[in-house]
Formats: sequence, structure tokens, C-alpha cells
Amino acid sequence: MLDNLMMGFGAALTPANLLWCFVGVLAGTVIGLLPGLGSTTGVAVLLPLTLSFEPLTALIMLAGIYYGAQYGGTITSVLISTPGEAASVVTAIDGYQMARRGRAGAALSIAAIGSFVAAIVSLVLLVAMAPPFAKLALDFGPPENLAVMLLGLTTIVSFSSGARLRGLAMAVLGILLATVGVDAATGLPRYTFGDVDLLSGLPFVQVMIGLFAVGEVLYQIRQGAAAPIRARFRDLVINREELSRSKGAIARGSLIGYLLGCLPGAGSTLASFLAYGVEKRVSKHRDEFGHGAIEGVASPESANNAAANANFVPTLALGIPGGATTAVLLGAFMMYGIQPGPLLFDEQPELVWGLLASFFIGNVLLLVLNLPLAPLFAQMLRIPYGYMYPLILVTSFVGAYSIDNNMFSVWIVFVSGLVGYFMKKFDLPMAPLVLGLVIGPLFEKALVQTSAMGDGDLTLILTRPIALVVLALAALLVAGPSLLKLLPRREKETV
Amino acid sequence: MRAALAAAVLLLGVTACGGTNAGAGSGGGAWKPRGDVRMIVPFAAGGGSDLAGRSIAAALEKAQPGLKVTVENRDGGSGAVGYSALLGKKGNGNYLLATENAILSLPISGQVSFTRKDFTPVAKLAEDGGILVVKKDSPFKTCTDVVNAAKSGRVSVGMSGAYGVDNVIFTLIEQKTGVTFQRVPFESGGELVPAVLGGQVQVALLNPGEVIGQFRSGDLRGLCVTTDERYTYPELASLGTAKEQGIDVSYVQFRGILGAGGLDEREKAYWVQAAKGITRTAEFQKWLKDNYLQQSELYGDDFAAYLEQLDTALAPLLKKPS
Repeated sequence: MLDNLMMGFGAALTPANLLWCFVGVLAGTVIGLLPGLGSTTGVAVLLPLTLSFEPLTALIMLAGIYYGAQYGGTITSVLISTPGEAASVVTAIDGYQMARRGRAGAALSIAAIGSFVAAIVSLVLLVAMAPPFAKLALDFGPPENLAVMLLGLTTIVSFSSGARLRGLAMAVLGILLATVGVDAATGLPRYTFGDVDLLSGLPFVQVMIGLFAVGEVLYQIRQGAAAPIRARFRDLVINREELSRSKGAIARGSLIGYLLGCLPGAGSTLASFLAYGVEKRVSKHRDEFGHGAIEGVASPESANNAAANANFVPTLALGIPGGATTAVLLGAFMMYGIQPGPLLFDEQPELVWGLLASFFIGNVLLLVLNLPLAPLFAQMLRIPYGYMYPLILVTSFVGAYSIDNNMFSVWIVFVSGLVGYFMKKFDLPMAPLVLGLVIGPLFEKALVQTSAMGDGDLTLILTRPIALVVLALAALLVAGPSLLKLLPRREKETV
Repeated sequence: MRAALAAAVLLLGVTACGGTNAGAGSGGGAWKPRGDVRMIVPFAAGGGSDLAGRSIAAALEKAQPGLKVTVENRDGGSGAVGYSALLGKKGNGNYLLATENAILSLPISGQVSFTRKDFTPVAKLAEDGGILVVKKDSPFKTCTDVVNAAKSGRVSVGMSGAYGVDNVIFTLIEQKTGVTFQRVPFESGGELVPAVLGGQVQVALLNPGEVIGQFRSGDLRGLCVTTDERYTYPELASLGTAKEQGIDVSYVQFRGILGAGGLDEREKAYWVQAAKGITRTAEFQKWLKDNYLQQSELYGDDFAAYLEQLDTALAPLLKKPS
């Protein structure tokens, strides 16, 4: 295997491949930065440009866009509470609070470091044992997915910051809003009021831009002109205490992200929510969560990056897309005349190992790129809000329009912005709503499928060992804190 | 700040590329599209329809030098969003859509406001057959085995969508043989492959391009094909047709090009003529070969007649509420 990896580095370290790897991660960072433009769209848009490239060079660049976007999505989350990618929504909670306290540089640094460590951990796991994990992922059928979604829903409690009833209500609202669109089982439209655009459901990214970015701007304007955040340059650099607090969070986030990323469909957004939820359960500083805890940035950022890499486990080992972006990448494989499937490792060793080696190189490039940039980006907050707000609003609306080139998206951002403003005004937590929106469709699908498999009998889930283990984990997560008080030294085992 | 500016510039660039360039031909003589042509793909990037749209767009550009075709994914509602987008471009000769069977199954479902008559059929270019697929250690050897098993017990089948081609084929099999399958809904063919591999469902119907990698590794086996005749691709030639196995069912997915509704004769003539050049290009032939498709051409009014015929056959089959 080491021979293979060496061969891979040999293939990836040509000047052309290095250059395009750099172009890819840079483009990815910018694409991740822009609200609305996600990595899936980014890869699909730039794919035609690469058709004249060597297949390996093209894939290295496209994959670079994908994981580069995971880094970039964080920056606007932290600085202006506007997640560039769905997987960065959770980061906005504590990251933005850190920025308000003048620790934006530290938040961005730990996000870059966490992402890097998570990438390396998940890549080593990917290189060492992709096939067994891919086989394990196949055992995750609808009942197991249903259990994973239940596990995800248990984290709602973690996002409610004290007011559990409010959090629960928002999560239910999110799940209800997620039912808009075509019902997967029967193909019948629900709550679309005859509107064609609503057939595909409430567009998640647009809702997010509205709730977070526009809602925050409206709320800040109501508060009156906030003073720009001035921090001395040396305060923008991460300190030793913050680093050591983040260690455990990064480790747990990486592991959770890798495991969820291996499952086709579960994806990095869910991983980031789950990692945050777990961290809030096990952290010694759990009272600080929601008010700028560095663990609240480190764990979801590690998780979403680990998941992004782990998405390649089913993609490369089985030829099954792990998520939306890897589905586009699989399409790219076929355009270059490469047939993805279980034989890919045997038939295209140079391509697969070259691509894997480029992941290592690309992540090093991203770390080198992002660490020095973190304090620089943080300096953006010195811009007076009188200039910042219009910029945020314009970016939000233009970004929304660019997703589908239609006004529907713009209206969604507008309405969600108003909703976001009133939610802030009445102190309703936003993250459970977003979690409901993300998990709602996945939960419903797993529920319908499990029901179909068991002819309407949901106790099927109790006959599946893996599902039972996941359900037990969920129970542990809910009951965890009380158990921890009894057995303080068992902390690590709850992960 | 600099990054924000760079971001804004990039954004504007992307929006500009996506901007509409509706151009109407000037009067007299032959019509030609002015500015960029849009090819709407009514499904998400990465799937079979997306590959079809992108390949056909590339082949069109090659066949008509100077023509620029931009692909735009408008997915959602099992294709309804994309077709509705084309509906809104009535009379605009600069819009095309990568079409397949959803143009018929969506209107039959009664949930959309358009029918095939609202568009201009340009060309049918290829057919994509279905293969009934099982895991390697499945007891089923033929499609007859599946039907026999369903007569005495439960056979679970995966569905890629409520209006998918697989739903039509399994319904046809049920009607011809009197069995009932246990349907488990999924959202795409991509989700069905792991479901069959992991034993979540026993049988699924997939396109050759979706399973060829799994066939070669031996993880999945084909039972029969739903095409009229056997495949000529060597990897698939050994698979018998459903008809050979005593199940009188044959149904395939077609792939082609649709224009917006209300085009005048000159616009229609231009696109039919342009489409006729597609099949000769290397891009088109590569797409056929890579995805194990079969070339099958019908242009203009012949394509319209084919749609009408298929519509009449499908309507009674799909009309019942599920």
C-alpha cells in the first residue's frame, strides 16, 4: 500500500498537477466563501473547462475545488454570520460570537487547523481501509439510516441553549417546512399551492442566507450602529490555551465526520451538527457553547472536512456517490472515459492513488494558504458596519439569484430574512430550525423506506443490530450528562 | 476587503455567464439563433439525464460551428421544475431541453400544468434500456425466477422515483403476470445500486451505464433486459430479453431534444437540421458507447408521432392514483 501511495505522489507531484491542485483549492476557497455558490455548483460549472486536461489533472483540480470549499465556507460564517456552505451553518453559532469578541482570527485559525488535521486523519483512514468501510456502509440500509437520523435529532437539545421547549418548537417547524415539495413515496406535491418552484421544496441554501445574513443585518440595524471590532494584530493569532482546548474537539469531530461521511447520502452537514451536539455534551466548557466556545468551531469544522474526504470512500471503492458533489465527480470520471466501480483501484491505480496523494498535497496547500490569511480576513471586521451591511445584503441577494438565475430564490432570501429578524428579536434559536430543515427530508425518506420494507411495521428497526447500536448511542447522548456526573472518568467513551 | 471584491467580481462573472441572451432571428431567409443557446437539464448534475444533456450540447456545438450551448440544471419535482422552466420560454428559439420519458409520465400524473403538446419535439437520439439486477448471491437466475417468487411470496423491488421508468416496467410486469411487488421508494438510480448491493432490496431496474462497473467486478448480476432485442455490446450480449423469458414486456427510456413551445416553422426547421448533424460527431458516439446506449433517431414530426403513440400506451397504465 505504501508503494501505491508513493506511486501516487509520483503522479501527483508533476508541475502541471501541482499547479492545477493549487488552482483548484484556491477556486474552492473562493467558491466556498460565496453564499449560494456551493461546491456542487462550483464543480459542475468548472467541469467543462477541464475536458481537455489529462484525466488525473482534471480530477485533482475538481476534487481541490470540493475540499477547498469546505475551508472557504467557514470564513463568512465566522466573520459575518453568513454560512457559505450548508456544512458551515453550525460554525456560525460560536464562530460569529467569537468574532464579536475580537477572536475572529483565532476562530478562523482553529477552523483551518481542525480542517487540516481532520483531512489528514480521514485520508489515512481512507488510504488504509477504504474497502472495509465501504462494505460497512452498504449494511446501512433504510432502518439504519432511520436510526442515524434519530441520533441527529437528539442533538436538538444541544442547540437550544437552555430553552429546550423553544428549541424543540423550532426543530418541529423546520421539519414541517421540509415537507414542502414532492413527496418521495407517492410523487404527489405537498404545500406547493400550485407553484412550480416550490415543487423541489424550500431551497435550503437560500433559506439559510436569509435567516443568518439578512436576519443578522436587520437585527444589528435595530440595535443601532455597532462599533467596528478593533483587535490588535497579535490578538488575532490563536493562543496556546485555545489550541489545547480544541484538541479533543478536533479528534472527536474528525471521527464523527469520517464515520458519517462513509454513508452514502448522510453528508457533511449532518456530521457538523452531530459533532457540535456531541461536543456540547462532553465538553468541560459546555456553558460557553453559543457564546463563543472555540470547541464549537473546532468540532464541526473538523467533522465537515473529514466527512467531505470520507465521501470518497463509497465513491472510489464502489463507484457510488457519497454526496451531491461526489456524484458530479463520478459523472466527470465517465466523461474522461473512466468507468467507476469496485475495480477502479485495480484498473486505474495511478489515477486513484494520484488523486489520493493530491488530497494530502491540497490540504497542506490549504493550511499554508489559510493560516496566514486568518488574521488578514479578521481585519475585515474593522470596516465600519455602515459599509459592511450593504455589502452583505448585496452579496446575499446576488448570491441567491445566481443559484438558479431566478427571482424565486431572491424572494425566499427576503422572506427568510424577515423571519430571521423576528426569531432573533424574540430570542428563538435558529440552529434547531436549520437542523430540522436538513434532517426532515432524510428522516422522512428513511421512515417511508423502513415502513415499506417492513410492510408498515416499524419494529423492523429493532431486528437490525447496527440500527440498535446507533439507537443506543442516541440514548447515551441524551442521558449522557447525567451519567457523566456519576462516572466522571468515563468521559472519553461517550464518543 | 480585497477578497470580498474578488468574490464580488467572480460572482458577477458567474451571473453574467448565466444571463439570458434571448435572440430572435431577423426576418427573411433561414433562421439562426442569436447569442447563446440554453440546454435545460431537468435533473440534477451527475445523473444520466445530465450526462445526456451535456454530451448532446457538446455534440451540437461540434455539428454547428459557431453555436454556443450552455447547460443549465433545473432539477426538482421529478423533472417538473425543468419542464416548467421551458414552458415559460414559449416562442423563444434559444431554449432546448434534454428530454426523456418524464415529458409523458409527468402530465399523466395530473400534477403539472403542461403536456407534451406545449413543446416542440426536435429529435429523439438514443434509447437507454433497463436491466433487472440482483446481488451476486441472489437465488434468482432469470426474470422468470423473480416473477415465480413473487407469486408465492414477497419480492422487494427498489423504485428510483414515483414516475420513473422502473415504475412503468414493474407495473407492466405486474399486469402481464398478475403478481405484486413490494415497492421501496428511493430517489435516484444512484441510490438503488448500494441498496441492492447491501441487500436492502432484492431486485432493481437500472440502466447499463449505472451497473456495468458492478457487473465486471461480479458484485451484481443481470437477469434480463427490457429492450426489444438483446444488446450488441459484448458485455451485455449474454443477457436475455424479458420477452425471451416469457414476460411480454418491453419498454425503454428515450433520450432526445425538446424545443420551447410556439416556435415558427423556420425555427423548428433550423433545430431539426442541426440535430441531424449530432449523431455523426465523435462526442455523440463516445457518449453512446460509454453509457451503453443504442442509437435511435427520429426527427421533428416523426418524434412527435412517437411521443403521441407512447402517451396513448402509458396513460391507462399510470393514471391510477398510487
